[in-house]
Amino acid sequence: MICALRFETHSDEETRAAGRRLAGFFPAHAVAVLAGDLGAGKTTLTQGIAEGRGAARAEDVSSPTFTLIHEYGDPVSIYHIDLYRLDTAEEARRLGLEDIFDAPALVLIEWGDKFPEILPADAFRIELTRLELADGEEAREIRVWTPGTEMVCT
Amino acid sequence: MKILGIESSCDETAAAVVEDGARVLSSVVASQMDTHAKYGGVVPELASREHLRAIVPVVRQALRDAGVDLKQLDAIAVTQGPGLVGSLLVGVTYAKAISFAASLPLIAVNHVEGHIYSVLMDAKSKGEEIALPALALVVSGGHTHLFSIAAGPAELGPVYKLMGRTRDDAAGEAYDKVAKLLGFGYPGGPVIDRLAPFGDPKGIKFTTARMKGNELDFSFSGLKTAVLRWVEKHDLLEEIRTRHAFVEQKRAKHESPTVEEWLTVTPTATLDLLASFQHTVIHELLHRTLASAEQMDARSVIVSGGVAANEGLRQAAARTARPRFYFATRTLSTDNAAMIAAAAYPKLLRGEVAGLALKAQASLPLAG
Repeated sequence: MICALRFETHSDEETRAAGRRLAGFFPAHAVAVLAGDLGAGKTTLTQGIAEGRGAARAEDVSSPTFTLIHEYGDPVSIYHIDLYRLDTAEEARRLGLEDIFDAPALVLIEWGDKFPEILPADAFRIELTRLELADGEEAREIRVWTPGTEMVCT
Repeated sequence: MKILGIESSCDETAAAVVEDGARVLSSVVASQMDTHAKYGGVVPELASREHLRAIVPVVRQALRDAGVDLKQLDAIAVTQGPGLVGSLLVGVTYAKAISFAASLPLIAVNHVEGHIYSVLMDAKSKGEEIALPALALVVSGGHTHLFSIAAGPAELGPVYKLMGRTRDDAAGEAYDKVAKLLGFGYPGGPVIDRLAPFGDPKGIKFTTARMKGNELDFSFSGLKTAVLRWVEKHDLLEEIRTRHAFVEQKRAKHESPTVEEWLTVTPTATLDLLASFQHTVIHELLHRTLASAEQMDARSVIVSGGVAANEGLRQAAARTARPRFYFATRTLSTDNAAMIAAAAYPKLLRGEVAGLALKAQASLPLAG
């Protein structure tokens, strides 16, 4: 995979702004895994992406952990999915993900890296990492990996 | 009038028969039944296929428990949304089929309105009337929403207006995630609620989010992250591992831990963390609920959804002088079909009947 983009953000608002910029980067029909620890900013970034795509206002995008799948736009142009609560790939399959992957939309999957076997081969990867800066402040590094063969992101 | 309610919006497959919107004749929830033995497999948890497997026996049992057959019913009510579209479809399709076969009116119910009716139904069954305008706090793993409820014109029923909601995580989700990261297992709400009284609620100062825009909106993501940071700073790995092993051991024996057992694997500092977390969540919920109630001059506050079962929240609400709080009973707090049948009753009286073209809607708003 090739690392195409890297952002560093210092607040939720900056993370959403990064999402709005990222929105135009993905094709209309794509799947992207959101990888990162609890509290890394996955839902916050999705708020920005959904807003950037004109699918929803940022404040209308909430965590899908319990509800598993949220749809935004009419017709649906963003699927926001969260596999945190699931234990097996079989459970994830039963959600009907394959049908959703075929839909002409951007599919964002939090904790998608738990079950790599169910993901399409051409899935993007968005990695969020929390950084502790020297002055004790926090920052978030957001890296986007496009589907490909090489690992060259540093 | 007897209404059969069907609910399949998320993990639970449920059916219930309710008379006159108040008397629960039966209420069956599949994930709480001894389903392994009954259906020869692991039932619910997710997904349309599991609902499909459970729906027929669950409806049948609801009718049997109520001692009625289809001919004695006056209507079929079903959750139209919000929820997982594949799950909703199972309930909607089955309800349509019964409605068609038995020539019974079909009534579409919003799941969130159902939660509100779980409280209205309970009050009605006790002969109480909840004074309007009321404010409803629907708080669960998937929702944290405030709605104002005003009496509308008789032919249209109550008027709902969204006052506030979570901008990120739902309150119940914050409980589950904090419990999981501390090794308490799932679901997290009940454990934290039971252990919180053993810790110091002011032991750790968590700040609540200041809301830009609508000040009645909630946020729980920051609190979840703050708990995570605290855990990282305090080197709890060994403790969490011990607790996790304890949970697994109890699960293997099909036992649930007692409070005394939890206390043996939970040091004081962690109890303080749980108490402080619970204190912050409850403060956040009540603070914005009361601000909202004041803004709309609510005469009553209704609390429903899974988190309504939280004892700490109930006690804190009971200390509030006005307006009066009404909580859903514990069994009706979580997803069930009795609330769907109850919400359908006034609709049936008003003639709000859905056609067979009724469609499941994943994101069905109750009000804008």
